[in-house]
Amino acid sequence: MTDVAEEREVEIDTKRAARSQASARRAAIIEVVVLYAVCIAAALVLAAILVAATGGSWRDVFSALLDGSIRRPGRWGLTLGTALPLLLVALGTIVNARAGLVNIGQEGQLLIGAACATYVGVRLGGPGPVVIVALLLAGVLGGAVWAGIAGALRYWRGVPEVLSTLLLVTVAANAGGYGLKNPSLLLAPAAGRANRNQVSEQLADDTRLPRITVFGNEFPISVLLGIALAGAVAFVLARTVPGFRLRMLGRNPRTAQRAGVSATRYGMGAMLISGGFAGLAGAAMLAGGDFGNYQLVPGFSVNIGWTGLLVALVARERAVAAISVAFVFASLRTGSGFLAATGVERRITDVVQALLVLALLIPPAVIYIRSRRRALAASKDRV
Amino acid sequence: MRNITKRYGQVVACSSVDLALEAGRIHGVLGENGAGKSTLMKVLIGLAIPDAGQVLIAGRPVVIADPIAAAELGVGMVHQHFSLVEPLTVWENVALGGVGSLAPGEVRDRVGDRSRHYGIDIEPDAIVADLPAGLRQRVEIVKCLRRDPKIVVFDEPTSVLTPGESEQLFEALRRVVDEEGRAVALVSHKLDEILHATDDVTIMRQGAVVDRRPTAEADAAGLARAMVGRDVSLRSERVALGIVAGDEPVAESSETPAEPVLAIHDVIHRTPDGRALLSGLSLAVGPGEIVGVAGVEGNGQRALGDLLSSLLPVDSGHVRVDAADVPCGRAGAMQDAGIAVVPEDRHDSGVVLDMTVAENLFLADLARVARGGVIDGRRLREQAQALIDRFGISCQGPDAPLWPLSGGNQQRVVLARELAHDPKVLVAAQPTRGLDVGAIEYMSEQLQAAAAAGVAVLLISTELEEIMELSHRVAVISRGAIVGEMPRADVDLERLGLLMGGMAEATP
Amino acid sequence: MEAIWDVLSSEVTYSSAVRFAALLLFAACGEWVAERAGTLNISVEGMILAGAFAAAVGYDRFGGSVAAGLVAGCLAGVLIASVQANMSHRLPADQFVVGLTLNILVLGLGGFLDAELDPTTQRGATTDIPLLSELPLLGPALFAQPWPLYLVYPLVPLVWWLPFRTRWGLEVRAAGEYPNAADVSGLMVNQRRREAIYLAGLTSGLGGGYLVLGAIGAFEDSIVGGRGFIAIAAVIFGGWTLRGTVAGCVLFGAVVSFRLSLPQQGYDSLNTELLSALPYLVTILGMALFAHRIRPPAALARPFLRGLK
Repeated sequence: MTDVAEEREVEIDTKRAARSQASARRAAIIEVVVLYAVCIAAALVLAAILVAATGGSWRDVFSALLDGSIRRPGRWGLTLGTALPLLLVALGTIVNARAGLVNIGQEGQLLIGAACATYVGVRLGGPGPVVIVALLLAGVLGGAVWAGIAGALRYWRGVPEVLSTLLLVTVAANAGGYGLKNPSLLLAPAAGRANRNQVSEQLADDTRLPRITVFGNEFPISVLLGIALAGAVAFVLARTVPGFRLRMLGRNPRTAQRAGVSATRYGMGAMLISGGFAGLAGAAMLAGGDFGNYQLVPGFSVNIGWTGLLVALVARERAVAAISVAFVFASLRTGSGFLAATGVERRITDVVQALLVLALLIPPAVIYIRSRRRALAASKDRV
Repeated sequence: MRNITKRYGQVVACSSVDLALEAGRIHGVLGENGAGKSTLMKVLIGLAIPDAGQVLIAGRPVVIADPIAAAELGVGMVHQHFSLVEPLTVWENVALGGVGSLAPGEVRDRVGDRSRHYGIDIEPDAIVADLPAGLRQRVEIVKCLRRDPKIVVFDEPTSVLTPGESEQLFEALRRVVDEEGRAVALVSHKLDEILHATDDVTIMRQGAVVDRRPTAEADAAGLARAMVGRDVSLRSERVALGIVAGDEPVAESSETPAEPVLAIHDVIHRTPDGRALLSGLSLAVGPGEIVGVAGVEGNGQRALGDLLSSLLPVDSGHVRVDAADVPCGRAGAMQDAGIAVVPEDRHDSGVVLDMTVAENLFLADLARVARGGVIDGRRLREQAQALIDRFGISCQGPDAPLWPLSGGNQQRVVLARELAHDPKVLVAAQPTRGLDVGAIEYMSEQLQAAAAAGVAVLLISTELEEIMELSHRVAVISRGAIVGEMPRADVDLERLGLLMGGMAEATP
Repeated sequence: MEAIWDVLSSEVTYSSAVRFAALLLFAACGEWVAERAGTLNISVEGMILAGAFAAAVGYDRFGGSVAAGLVAGCLAGVLIASVQANMSHRLPADQFVVGLTLNILVLGLGGFLDAELDPTTQRGATTDIPLLSELPLLGPALFAQPWPLYLVYPLVPLVWWLPFRTRWGLEVRAAGEYPNAADVSGLMVNQRRREAIYLAGLTSGLGGGYLVLGAIGAFEDSIVGGRGFIAIAAVIFGGWTLRGTVAGCVLFGAVVSFRLSLPQQGYDSLNTELLSALPYLVTILGMALFAHRIRPPAALARPFLRGLK
């Protein structure tokens, strides 16, 4: 065969190989997309059946949700403001998840953060911006310490943090309740509160987070802070040395220990950061204005902590993805405000949320199994 | 077994393999690591389904879907890494895998009966975790034989035994075959064993059968040639083939070493329930010398490796590098002191499977590729590529994930990372486990090169062949302490075996 | 001091302590087996709640039959358990994540369906066991309770017998300690784990039924209130032995009862929040003191995928 012909043959062969590789990749991507689509659809169908079975109209429900979250004027600003604490909680969760720890006590850490922020915000004198920063920091500190308790219990007493963070949530709720009964702590002086409610004093006008208006929608500037933090977390985790070490700890703690990553130090650090984010979320909720009247009330956390945790899970522990997922979950919340008119019980959005999360857990699990099977096949050794 | 073919994705583990086992004979299946013998046995025991071919028992084709089906068909296996659940008792373990309701009394009696029959002494109510490896293997054997299999497979049984215990095992095998008329398959990569203990031998190489003959007609050189595919000339291959080096002198053994680089003194580590993993271990390694720590598996090798990997705190004793104390158990301390480790189980503490090759190459030394705390992607890739080239790591590039790489290549990654910054001490724990001849050769060369360059090398291995081949000095570890040391030239195999079995005094 | 004596000498204290301990025990028994199999199911909370709601509906729809309610409760518990079991031990979805989400799902569903279906129930009358119920102090507490509680008495020995006297139980324990060895011995590790979780669902659902029909009398979504987690903590506190688990449930049940009976005795000036948080604080303290010294099943909370270490 002449050289030219040979060359052509080789060329054709490589092209064919490349093409088959490309089409194999395409097939794999299509498989993934279909898997996700099917799971999400299944979740939504289940929810629709639930609505129909109790006499509602899912079309109305869907429309109301859209209205409440983005369609009606001013609503998507509210949704943004609602998404912010969800995003913050999710970011903290992502940090501890990457370190291999399980923190499910964000609801409590958020509450403690909000309580600390209330205390500082109401009592600290001084120029507005200073108080704002101070109360945000107080929130971070409060949440960090609360999570730190669980971290300390794990690293010094071997208590699994999945349980300690969980149990501490109820303790936090009770601590908050106690604080709200005590004028020396959080309770507003008798003159300042309505009737005999156990609420805290309201934040003074200049100690509230400034709100900006874009296209007729209003939201606090903390939203921008949140997005910036999301970028920061993503960057630190992916591209810095401490982030790398954290990820090593999460993937293989023994190899990490060999390489100089102290599980105690990095793990505690991750817990503190995680709690700090939740606490910041609480402070932001307080000073932001979308969650009541700039005052601490019983039941303040309204499940933001739990939902934020779910956001992190759905976002597959990716900080930037968490932004959009937080927005979607926030939409469910704000949308549910318009459900009363349809006659369907509000709780349906909680159900939809949980179903979606479950549904979204399935495709990655399936993909993981398949890829591991392929990996086992590719590796020759079988010890 | 006829025409058995098993593919795992692109890789053909077995290709048209024929194997015939006859009652009353011990049939050896010989091949280096990766030759396909394990896969073949997995098919027989029901842990793998062949893509082609069939298995016939007593002339009838059968389908073996899982280990329970295999047991019902009369096939039993004594596993290399045991199928025993440690916290359970002996009788519970023996009962595991059977069917039907549990009858503790009957099982206990059976255990006592069988153990007396084979001349061994096992307490049915003893907890497996408390038994040494030799006894555990016997429990494994009783468990296997309890179901009265007609065909028994022994998978690399001698890695956990002293030479003396191996003898006893072969005698027991002979009895099993002669008196009870079973068919026994002995899977091994050790030539000596096969020549010594089997009646017939099938040799596998790269997934296919290359030869089959009665052992009486075989000789070491011929078998070796069949196993490896060429004349055995390189000394390091003897390690792979399980031939203990004869009396040839090793490369000049160092005289009394200068100030030892690594000094471990009287280290004790106890587990929370009181067991001593290390019970006063003392060892010194000088620059440029290779000290081989021989011993039967389960005598503290793992703990020693962990100690030098900063994974084990100590209750007392100390570790010194160049006369400077190194804190034990503190993350990264050993590494910072200049101790490089190629661990026994790289997946456990050597690599991070989900990270890329480049990340694994630098996970201990990020400062080299980072500036101000931020990792410089380009520098990482460049330096990783340099290491990849220097150590001949076969992969798709520095950004390829680590987990698909073969064992040999993953080991190269570990080696590359550890050697990259000129350590003072290199610890290699079971470095050639599970590797094929080529990878074993490479590893041996690297160890010798390191020693030649002045690094203090500590070789921990349960393979006596490896120790004998490479060490200047041999130490024996037993029950968490070093019980004997001697220069390689003075090694007396019999005495070594006794020391390994914990049955000789420490000093001659 | 007087307060403590009053409380300790009151029959009501013991009665309510047993009532609360029983709920914990129903759930903890099953979860103990599940944890011996190597799984950690924080969805126990959801299993109990689902059982409670199903029991309320069952009672309502079957003309006031407590038995029907209890059966419905068991089925609901098993249903939730099967989602947990199959997502975490057939598919490799993280068991904590699945557990948490299931809890949220059941909470939402419970609240939603409760508003729509609104079942009416009433608290069961007590069934006194003659003679035994007349023992001082403990008699009425243990033997003069609504009959669903009595189901816990045979449950405990049954749950002990299963892992230690049956082949199934042996395999379950092996799966929880050394799944790799068990797998090589021919056991179906993940199947045993799933089955153990179904058992946990059964007992937890039964516990939920008892809660609604025996102890409290009416369903609302806060009826479980975190006690599922306390049941898990009791298993850990008890060092993964059944004896320890029972002790833990009794202790925690007593703490809960303590906080209710103090006000009843007239000491309501005490800090109600502290009392509310007390069971949880005691649980945390209990784990802190004891978790260090005990040994969990070696493979606890580690998913088993064949071929991977």
